[in-house]
Parts: sequence; structure tokens; C-alpha cells
Amino acid sequence: METLALIETLDRDGQPRQVLRVSQWPVRIGRAIDCDLVLDDPHVAALHATLDMREDGLHVVPAASVNGVRLGRASVVPGSTPLLPSSGQMTLGATTLRVRLASETLAPEERLLDLHHYEHRHGAALVALIVIASLWKGFDLWLSAVPGAPGSALAWGYLSAPIGLMVWCVVWAIGSMLFQRRFAFWPHLQVALTWLLVAVLAEEVCQQLAFALSAPLIEKAGRLVFVGALAMMVWRHMGLLLPTRRRAFAIAIGSAVVVGGGLLLVDRSMQQEPLVGDLYLGTISLPGMRVAKPVSIDAFVKSAAPLQQTLSHWAKPGDDDDDSPSGDDD
Amino acid sequence: MLLNSLLRRRCARLSALWLALAASPWAHATSPIAYPAAPASPLTRAAVPTSAASAAEADSDAEDSGNLSASARRIYDFGRPRLLQVRTLLRDQDSQASVGSGSLVGADGLILTNYHVVSQVALEPQRYRLNFQTVDGVTGALQLIAFDVVHDLALVRMAKPPATVSERGVFEFRPATTPLAQGERIFSLGNPLDVGFAVVEGTYNGLVERSFLPQILFSGSLNPGMSGGPVLDDKGHIVGVNVATRRDGQQISFLVPAEFAQALIARGAHAKPITASVEAEMARQLLQHQQQLTTRFVALPWRETKHAHYSVPVPQEDFMRCWGSSNPSESKGLSFERSDCQMDTAIFINESLRTGDMSVRHEVYDGSKLGALRYAEEAGQSFRNEGMGRRTHDLTAPKCQEDFVESGGLPMRTVMCLRAYRRLPGLYDVAVLSQSVDAKTEGVQGRFDARGVSFDNAMLLATHYLKGFAWKRSP
Repeated sequence: METLALIETLDRDGQPRQVLRVSQWPVRIGRAIDCDLVLDDPHVAALHATLDMREDGLHVVPAASVNGVRLGRASVVPGSTPLLPSSGQMTLGATTLRVRLASETLAPEERLLDLHHYEHRHGAALVALIVIASLWKGFDLWLSAVPGAPGSALAWGYLSAPIGLMVWCVVWAIGSMLFQRRFAFWPHLQVALTWLLVAVLAEEVCQQLAFALSAPLIEKAGRLVFVGALAMMVWRHMGLLLPTRRRAFAIAIGSAVVVGGGLLLVDRSMQQEPLVGDLYLGTISLPGMRVAKPVSIDAFVKSAAPLQQTLSHWAKPGDDDDDSPSGDDD
Repeated sequence: MLLNSLLRRRCARLSALWLALAASPWAHATSPIAYPAAPASPLTRAAVPTSAASAAEADSDAEDSGNLSASARRIYDFGRPRLLQVRTLLRDQDSQASVGSGSLVGADGLILTNYHVVSQVALEPQRYRLNFQTVDGVTGALQLIAFDVVHDLALVRMAKPPATVSERGVFEFRPATTPLAQGERIFSLGNPLDVGFAVVEGTYNGLVERSFLPQILFSGSLNPGMSGGPVLDDKGHIVGVNVATRRDGQQISFLVPAEFAQALIARGAHAKPITASVEAEMARQLLQHQQQLTTRFVALPWRETKHAHYSVPVPQEDFMRCWGSSNPSESKGLSFERSDCQMDTAIFINESLRTGDMSVRHEVYDGSKLGALRYAEEAGQSFRNEGMGRRTHDLTAPKCQEDFVESGGLPMRTVMCLRAYRRLPGLYDVAVLSQSVDAKTEGVQGRFDARGVSFDNAMLLATHYLKGFAWKRSP
């Protein structure tokens, strides 16, 4: 007999739990044994609904029931017999069904998000990243260490970063376990390492450039790149959990960065602090790195003249509440 | 500033404790003197005459002790009717916010005290008012007449002088023609810690050395609450006014010389009570002070430094005091030598603001044991951990200018930050931070700070300071 359709009973994750091949319409659905599709759901009536193929398509014909039938979020009004939507999904009681018609065109095959055996396929990249990160961390520790300092202290400093990174990736991997049924530690490690390195290197390069050219703005740009790279990292982590929701995650992270950053800017401007970064460029690099020519003392002092205007503007009374005569704040 | 030097640094700044007794935790925390068991509860008004009376009884018991006590007793008996406690009360309550002392200097109820005793009333008349209490318990309201914020003096007058005020007599000043000799016995009067009026014997020890603002060194115990009280010679003439004491020493106390009090009385005795804001007048006095300070400071040449490669601006010790330190020579990291020069005198504006002083410090680094990369890292850390302050009630946030600057062949990374006084127009704090960037493993970092200067003088001082740096050709 020709298969006209499949009716799949879906579980919580949207995976088929039970499949019924349909060779003739109508199909009666309910808890009673004499139904064509028997649902073991206490929230379903003995005969809950009937699916009937008419000229214009497949219709849902609800029977008398307490919980009714829902198509997506909309409940079917008793007495009406709506067309089944193109998603093919309907909910009876607590059970969601999906109808696939033989006449439907199939969606193209999707590439597998294969988190399994990831480390075998990306092994080289992973090793390279781990080596670069270890070297960077080692260099960083060496830079700030006093010569002859005890090695154990250095070792602790060296271990704390990888341990933190492991914990971070394990938490994300548990998330993958929840949504993808895979403990995807290595993919998350790759994401974390890649974007942390981008963040740290961009920041360092910008600091050096800012020193070389005597351009503090470059250092501030570096800070923005740093934040951007961290946001990218979180977005990629989330993308590994639910690849289909990437767009929504991008919007969520983007708005979080915009709103959080905006609030920070407002706060800093209220406190008369620089909007981004420190009060002044704090980088001292090798003498050979300096490209910008030094100015004369007189020229430097002259260039500070505009500070007076800014400061007199800042000093103006009435721009905050602690000027009020009744202020009881100190 | 290097972090390890910050930890090891000696307590070079030994700030003076101003002697107004306030109910604030600040006064309790910094005062080393044991305070009565229940310091938090305001002392009742009745307690003051009682303790004064018991002091008098104790005096009569010791009637036939030596000459010195006898003269202290004579001085106290003489000063008693003219001595007062000056109290700052909350506007709408009788709770006292701080107390000091004062002396009658005019028959119409004119009283001399410290500016810092009346500063709360001067700056926030909408929240505070002034009151006086004599030794014999007469009280009344006071009005602020004039002040000299630089020398920490103020004149107040009784709002409704009692009819008997002229019978109390007034204190006279010791004539300038008969200066005191070092070692002469002088007597400080006041109400220490609000426990009762007291007379303190001590010695005149001349003017404090290396102090920009002249102050008398009084070897005697002054305590909070005695601020503004008179210090008398053995004829009962005022030679100075109690103002401050050192927390870290014993019997190291400071007096404002009488000449400044006389000058204030000469110009302010007949003034009308101050009702408008004092900030414009305060700014005027501070601007005058900073002009004198700046002129004197830039006229002094920098001292010769012994470093092989760098000339560093180190001030003369005319009115600054310098402390040096260095890290142990066996250190395997960055070796440094440090010099910290500060003025001892700062001008009290309010509990959170001192101004009108300068400091100069530098650190010379030798990173030959570190190598170029690590030296650059250390120097950078030391450069960026400098505090420039944040926006406060009194000052704006700092705003900085930075660049590579060359002085005497030495390229430096230089930052100059200024903050404006929010309530004292025309005054600024300036900080100049400069770090040499000429060598791979050695360098110098210097910092200059001036508080309460005009913008033009800030620029002048910054120029003067930066010109003190130079690269020396090795001999």
C-alpha cells in the first residue's frame, strides 16, 4: 500500500518518538484503542481529533475534548476545521505531532554540526592554538617576574590561567551536552583560545602602536577591539549550543554590549572620566619603538591650554545634586 | 610610583593634626590621645562649669607649690574672663558638630580664633551656626566677621554682647619690638577635648624651620579643642594662637604668630558680619598665597643630582623637606633610588581639602639585571599606577595632556593633569608625571604636584619642573 504521509509523535526535544505510516485518510487520533493513532497521554481524550484530507489540503477536525487542539500557539476554536499549517505540527493535550505528506518537497540536506571526533579533524589547529597561548602566557609571566624568583610561585601563576580556561570550557561543554547531546569540550576550547588570543594580541599591538606614535586613541581603540573579541567569543560558544539560533544570539549579545556600554559611557561621563580607557596612556616601551618626535617643553605646555576651558566647564556649579543647599551628603 | 617602594616607603609625610575637636570619626581615628570612656555622647553643658570649678579647687590645693605653677595659675586667673569656647552647632539643633577655643580681643565682643574652628559655618552657613561659652558659663551666638584662611585665623563677634562684656577686659598682644627668646616659658589656654578649660605650660622654640608659612614651635601639649585659644607670655600678652600638633611626636605643637592675628584684627575688626558666600574671598586669599609661593619656588634653582646620566629636578630645602630611600642592593630585580620632597604646611579648607602646598619626587631606576623588555614592563607599571584623583565634592576630575617631551636632550613620556576647584574659582591642582624613554635598562621617573595654584602658575611651574630634567654626558 502506498504511504500517503507519516505522523510523528515528538518528544520534548522535537525528536520523533513514535511514527505512524498513513495509507488512508481520515486518521483518528486519541487515547482509545480503536483510534488509528493511539496516544498514551492522560491529557488526550478518547477520540481527540481527526485528520481529514480534502481538496484544498489536510484539515484538523477536533472532537470534544477538555484540552483541545493547538496549532502553533493558537487554539483551534471548537466547531472549526482549520487547514494544518505548513509546519505540519499540531498539539493535542501535551503531545505534539508532526505530519509529513508524501507530496511535500524535501528540504536540502544540511551539513552536520559534528561535535563528535572534533579533536581528530581539528587537531592541528588546536595544538597550534594551545602552543601559541602557552607561549604567550609564559612570556607574560616572564616579563613581570623578578629574576631568581622561586619557580613554584611562577608555576602557580602559570597554572591558574589554564585551569580557569578549562572550567570555562567545561561549563560550555555541559551546555552542549544539554542541547546537542555531546560533551563538546574541544570545540569550545578552540573558540575560547582563538578569541582570547585575538583580544589580547589586538590590545597589545594597539598599546605598542599608541606608544610608538604617541597616539593614545589607538590604545583606546585596542580596548574596544578587546571587548568586541570577547563578545565574539561568547557568540561563538552559544552558536555551538544552538546553531539554529545564531541570529538571535547575535542580536542579544549585540544589544547587551550596546546597552551595557552605553550605561558605562553615561556613568563615566557623569564622573568626568575618559569615556574609554585610562586617564593617560600607561605604556612605556623600548626606546627603539618610539617613532613620534618629542616636542619642546614650551610647545607641550602650550598644548595644554585648552584644558582650562574643559575644567572651567566641569567646575560649573549646578551640574549635580550635591550643590543643593539641603544636601546632607557628607 | 613603584609598588614595592610604596609598601616600604617611610612615613615621610607626617601631617599635622588640626586642633578643632569634631564629632567626626576622623578626629577620633587620628588623635592618639586617650579619650574619655564615652566619646560618642555629646558632653552636657553643665559638665563644663563643674569641671572648671573642680580645676579651680585643685589649683587652690597646690597653692604653695613652686614658682612655675604659681605663674601658670596667675596667667589662668588673668585669662579666665577673656577665654571662651567656640562651638559649631547644627543649624536647627543644639548638638555640637565641633568645638574650639577663642580669646576676647575687642571690648565689643570681638573674638579671635582659628579659621578651621569656624570653617563649617563659613562654608555651609545653611547647616551650621556658631555659639560661645565663657569659663563662667555665659553663652550666646557668634557671627563670622573676617578670616585669614592662609594663616588659619578668624574673627567672630558676639551677636548680642552681654552688658558686662566690657568688664571682662581684652587680651593685648606682645609688642613686636620685644621678641621672645628661645626657651622662654609661654602658656597656652583652651578647652582640650571639651573636658574643661585648661592652661598648658610650654616653651617657645622659635619658628618652625623650613616652613613656608611662619609657625611658632611650641613645646607643650596641645589637644583637639584648644584650637584658636591664645598663647600668652608671662605678662599675659598674646604671642600666638593654638593651631596644630604633630601626631607622631610628643609636645610638638604649632602656633600662629601673633603678627598675623594683629593684621587680621587691623583690617577686620570693624567689618560687618559675613552673610554672603565666603568662597570668593577665600579664593582671593589663596590666589595671593599661591602667587607668593610660585614666585619664590621658581626663583630657586634645582639642586645638583649625582646620577651619572640624568639631571633630575630636586628642590632646595628652603621650605620643603626631602626624604630619600632605595631598595636593597642585593635585589635581583629593578634597583631604584627615590627622593620625596614635600612642604610641611598645607592650608586647611575643610575636613577633606588641604591646599596651597607642593611636592616633588623622583625615582631613578637601574634595570640592568632585568634586561630591556622586563625593564620596559616595570617602568610602564610604575608609570601607569600613578593616582591623579577622581571627581570629589571639592574638585573636578583630572584632565590630562600627554606627549613625548624633550628637555636637555632627554626624551620623556610626559603627562600633565589638572583639576579645577569646584567652589574656589581660578584655583587648580596640577600634577606633572614624566618618565625618561632614552635608555633600554635605566631611566628616571619624576612627579611634581602643586595644589591650589592659578592656571597660569600651573603652566609656569610645569615648565620650570620639566626644565629641571636633562641628559648628562658621562664624565
